[in-house]
Amino acid sequence: MGLTIDKEKSSSGFLIRVVGEVDLYSSPELREAILKAVPSAEGGLAIDMAGVTYIDSSGVATLVEGLRSAREHGTGFALVSPSPAVLQVLELARLDSIFEVR
Amino acid sequence: MNRDLHLTVRSDPKLLGSIRSLVRSWVDSWDVDVKTADEVVLAIDEACTNAIRHAYEGRCDGSLELTLHAAEEHLEFQVSDAGVSCPSECTERRPLQPPEVDDLEPGGLGIQLIYKVFDEVDFCRGESGGNCVTMKLKRSK
Repeated sequence: MGLTIDKEKSSSGFLIRVVGEVDLYSSPELREAILKAVPSAEGGLAIDMAGVTYIDSSGVATLVEGLRSAREHGTGFALVSPSPAVLQVLELARLDSIFEVR
Repeated sequence: MNRDLHLTVRSDPKLLGSIRSLVRSWVDSWDVDVKTADEVVLAIDEACTNAIRHAYEGRCDGSLELTLHAAEEHLEFQVSDAGVSCPSECTERRPLQPPEVDDLEPGGLGIQLIYKVFDEVDFCRGESGGNCVTMKLKRSK
C-alpha cells in the first residue's frame, strides 16, 4: 500500500516509475512529480506504471493533466507497461485510446 | 445470516486504502467475479473521494458512513456524509466516450464510473445538507 515514485533522467528522456496505489491521498504527489518533470523532459516523459496496483479517477486526472502539460511544452508523454489495474480503469473511463502506451 | 457491515470513518484520504481493503474482502465473500469486485472497490472509493473532496471540501474532520448490505437479489452499498449537498447537475449520468484530450474535463469522472459499475444508483440530498449515494449490484444466480 502507499506509493513510491522514482525519477530517472536519461539521454532518451525522463522516466517516472510509479509503484503502489494512486488515490486521493497519493495522487497529489504523483501530480507534482509529473508537472515538475515536464518542462525539463527533453526527449519525452514516460511514466512506468507496471507496479501500480490501484488507480482511481484522481490518478487518471493526474495522468491527463500530465499529457496536457506535455503537449503544451511540445514534448512526448507515454505510459510504459501499464498494469492490469491501470488498463482496467482507463478502459472503464473510455480513456484507453488517448495515451501513448509502450 | 446477516453479514452486513456498517462503518463510520473520518473524511481522511489516508483511510481510503483501508476502506478499499475492507470493501474488497466483504465483496469477495459474496461470489462476485474478480473484475466486478475490482470495479465495485473503485466505485466505492470514488463515492468516498467525492464526499471528502466536495461535501467536506477537503477537510478531514467530517464523517463518512458506509453500509455494505447483502439482500437476496443484490448487494447494496451506501455512502453518506453530512457535508455540503452536491448540486443535482453534478450527479447526472453522462455518457462516457473517448474524448479529445483538449476537451477533457478533469472532474466528474468518479460519478460516471459509479454509474458504469452498478445496476442501480440513487443520489439523494438532505434538506439541511448531506449526501447519500446508494449503489446496487445484482447478485449472480
